[in-house]
Amino acid sequence: MTEKKKVSRRKFLIRGGLGTIGVLAVGTYVFRNPLRRMGLEMAETMIPPYSGSGTEANLWFEITKENKVVLHSPKVEMGQGSFTSFAQMVADELDVNLDQVQVIGAATATGIVDALSTGGSLSVASLWLPLREMAATVREMLKGEAAKQMGVDASSLSTKDGTIEGGGKSMTYAEVAAGVTEWKLPKTPELRPVKDYKYIGQPIKRVDLEAKVFGDPIFGMDAEMPDMLHACVIRPEHVGATFKSADTSKAESMPGVVKIVQKEDWVGVVAETYAQAQAAKMTIKVDWDVPKQWTEEDIRGLLQVGKGNKMVTQKKGGAVDPADEDVVSMEFKSPIGAHAQIEPNGAVALVKDGSATIILSTQVIGVTQKQVSEALGLPLDKVNVIPTYLGGGFGRRLNTVHAVQAAQMSQEVGKPVKYFFTRKEEFQHDTFRPPTHHIMRGKLGADGYLDSLEHHYASGDVAINSVIMPAALHSILGTDVGAMRGGNIMYRGTPKYRAVQWHTTLPFATSWWRSLGLLANTFAIESFVDEMAIKAGKNPVEFRLASIGDEGADKRLKAVIEKAGESYRDEASNGRAMGFAASVDAGAPCAHVAEVSIENKEIKVHKVLCVFDCGIAVNPDQVRAQCEGSIVMGMSGAMHEKMTLKDGQLYPTIYGPYNMTLLRHAPKDVEVILIQGDDKPYPVGEPPMGPIGAAIANAVRRLTGERLTDLPLRLS
Amino acid sequence: MRSQKLLYVIPVLLCATILFAGGFANSEPDGAAESSSEELSSSSEENFDKMMAVLMHKRCVNCHPNDNIPKQGEDSHPHYFGMARGEGNLGYQATTCNTCHQSENNDYSGVPGAPEWSLAPESMKWEGLTRTEIAESMLDPKRNGGRTHHEVMEHLTEHELVLWAWEPGIDAAGNPRELPPVPVDEYIEAVKAWFEEGAVIPAE
Amino acid sequence: MKISFTINGQAQSIEIEDGNTPLLWVVRDMLDLKGTKFGCGKAACGACTLHVDGEAIRSCSYAVKFAEGKNVTTIEGLGTRENPHPVQQAWVEHVVPQCGYCQPGFMMATAALLEKNPNPTDEDIDNNIINVCRCATYVRMRKAIHRAAELTQSANQTS
Repeated sequence: MTEKKKVSRRKFLIRGGLGTIGVLAVGTYVFRNPLRRMGLEMAETMIPPYSGSGTEANLWFEITKENKVVLHSPKVEMGQGSFTSFAQMVADELDVNLDQVQVIGAATATGIVDALSTGGSLSVASLWLPLREMAATVREMLKGEAAKQMGVDASSLSTKDGTIEGGGKSMTYAEVAAGVTEWKLPKTPELRPVKDYKYIGQPIKRVDLEAKVFGDPIFGMDAEMPDMLHACVIRPEHVGATFKSADTSKAESMPGVVKIVQKEDWVGVVAETYAQAQAAKMTIKVDWDVPKQWTEEDIRGLLQVGKGNKMVTQKKGGAVDPADEDVVSMEFKSPIGAHAQIEPNGAVALVKDGSATIILSTQVIGVTQKQVSEALGLPLDKVNVIPTYLGGGFGRRLNTVHAVQAAQMSQEVGKPVKYFFTRKEEFQHDTFRPPTHHIMRGKLGADGYLDSLEHHYASGDVAINSVIMPAALHSILGTDVGAMRGGNIMYRGTPKYRAVQWHTTLPFATSWWRSLGLLANTFAIESFVDEMAIKAGKNPVEFRLASIGDEGADKRLKAVIEKAGESYRDEASNGRAMGFAASVDAGAPCAHVAEVSIENKEIKVHKVLCVFDCGIAVNPDQVRAQCEGSIVMGMSGAMHEKMTLKDGQLYPTIYGPYNMTLLRHAPKDVEVILIQGDDKPYPVGEPPMGPIGAAIANAVRRLTGERLTDLPLRLS
Repeated sequence: MRSQKLLYVIPVLLCATILFAGGFANSEPDGAAESSSEELSSSSEENFDKMMAVLMHKRCVNCHPNDNIPKQGEDSHPHYFGMARGEGNLGYQATTCNTCHQSENNDYSGVPGAPEWSLAPESMKWEGLTRTEIAESMLDPKRNGGRTHHEVMEHLTEHELVLWAWEPGIDAAGNPRELPPVPVDEYIEAVKAWFEEGAVIPAE
Repeated sequence: MKISFTINGQAQSIEIEDGNTPLLWVVRDMLDLKGTKFGCGKAACGACTLHVDGEAIRSCSYAVKFAEGKNVTTIEGLGTRENPHPVQQAWVEHVVPQCGYCQPGFMMATAALLEKNPNPTDEDIDNNIINVCRCATYVRMRKAIHRAAELTQSANQTS
């Protein structure tokens, strides 16, 4: 059942005849729906209407002389497959062949960039309606114009593969649009039934597949400008350190050094080659003020249920009495997590003659533009930010202050500057996944099912203090909506339940990490629910089903749990056991069944079954890929990864000591079953990660009897 | 890099010369005249001490593991990424020791290197052994690759991979690796002297 | 100093002051071949993997002076769209890449493995393919490696 969202259209500009850029350029399609209007409920299942931005000159589509359609995508491509899904959506409404569509990341000077970010698994879900509407509108515009040129009625014309035919005549889109500067804007046409689409719903091979297999230079790290110099910045090793002074005397005379750039609170080296910049950097001595040597105990002391700002995010019925001997209580913990994406952050920047060009991997093109504009005192329209393909995003690139530093260094030397983090800087200056602490409480009813279920949890910043979230939002909502993901109880048939969040800002930056609070929250809740099922002597699938509510969204969760439950076996056998867990994130329910064994004190995951309801799967193969990736990356977070503090520094600072899943750890068998429980696409990149930590811990529980309560999972 | 090596060797040589020329002042008993055989055995033991102080250092034992896993670092943790002996002591077929380790240290990456970088053969496992056991293993032709005493002495004093221990480079964090507790020239002298004096392993 | 080597079948000569500069930067910045990636610079992630005389080498820890007189192959030389290497063909068939940044390193490591072992077992794969993929595309990688082995063997049979 389609709920037609009314979006207020403010402007729909067309510009034709743009000469060197293209034949037809379709401009701004702007509509606004301020975040301020969203309540907590929406925040949980948030698929906000697309809130675009941009100036008049900006483009969505171009039709080139070669009769290709170029989509300037406001969302970037970081592996999640957004470009491919967009191409499918455009091709199906604009009536071009998929080969005729080219998707590029919109630059601020020429395209519409997302005012907020690419993230939240929202690219396809939020553009599902607007992008198809725009493509359909352009199709009708072309038909209308062709009808005028051919002297026939528009209704006699048909469109196919970028060509308009009717009355014995045929013209390509490019031919129709050539030289036209006045366009008639039709009413937004009805979109076609999803079942009639040729591309949407099909497992099309990624449009960027060959570029990535044949090593094309498509990433931020690969960007070049003529006469480019290389730079590095010296960052502190200690948490909370501030810059006092630097001795750069030796560096100035190192080979290839062009300039040492000294600002109020940082020092950078610009040299002819990267190797020379690094060698010079090693000779610089910085005097840091380190007020405190933070330890892991300090952090754990700050981050506890009962400390910080409290918010009851969900409440039904009274609270349990912890003194009641029938109340079960369990504590869970998760560590600091690093993004560790393989392409380091950085930028290529050129600031010259009052304008700036920045090329970089970013999830926040608009924010990058704003920060550079403010820091350099340049008007926004003089700052062009060009996004590239990202070598991993995962929330790491939702703040790009390094673009400002690259721009400032370029400004000082008057040439393009390429500046990239070292891997150590990536590990020490990440915007980490915050550590968490959870206290679960629950009580069984007389019928042996859940009577009470409570999730009390403490987290560092996820959404709070992020540059992409308006500060006002947190005052209104009073909670960290990122840390809250997966934190509410989804078993709404339980007579009494509540979720209580405790928030603390830590002394180092924490922010968005793929799936936000979902992985740790689901680990705590689903491990505890499993334990209660064992206490009740009931099958854990059946135990969960009995507590699911009756509303629409609950039915989708029920269907997913039932389907996955068909493959679940409660008894360990032949040294293997299964574990079950489920979660709902952004309205998309998911359940995992994980089969594990123990070998040499190591947990080995052999098979994972993932049942996932993402509504319409625009590209089912890419949805599966996101499920596979979520599962194995979730395994990495749940079983291997841990950042800690050593001598007041975030540690470790390199792959290897920062343990992650390798090919040898990935289950050989991952089966994904997709269920369509609604008639629109739901977020896909993050929700399938939710259940994996708990599913594995629940399997270990059945195999060994040991209940693991801390991530990363370690057998004693 | 060459100039750095030179700068490093000079103080080592100086140290070695001073210590050696000054005799083993600490161990000389007060005012007593030594009989020649006691002097011989005490100096032989000193040489043995020095030699084994080096050979039991992590710089050496890390690649003489008692299993198939090379050890790494100052804390001798198992080599990351599951690197293991493989076949021919050179790692796996396509991911060999040389995939990362070259014939010289690489300061940019912190990866150590020396010619013939590999694990010592399984028969030369030292990890967990006492110094007596290591010395016995070294002298045993069944375990030392069929070497004579002279060949063992040559290996210990001339092989580049052994001498690498005194130029172990910097690690991934840019910190210099810890050197063995005896300077290289003193070690070489001690090894040669110990073999010349009959390669006597003291009872302990 | 002057260093001469062959890269992707082409003779190449470079003039460089510091012969210890990692080959990675020479390939990327002097020869403008961007397919070989920088991920960590510490030989830990494998994104910089290329071939020197057919052997897999992590170019971030390989001094360019050692390339003198050798044959270097990067992802650009492994195969092309018109003439893909079996590894690349298998990677396309199984739609392995997500973000794609680590993939050239994995393909080069896999190609080196298949050269030595045309029919690797899962254990051989686990031991030899130890690069890091954050998107965790390993599930498809394993399938693609077996498929590449298949393609390699059938190519060997027909040649």
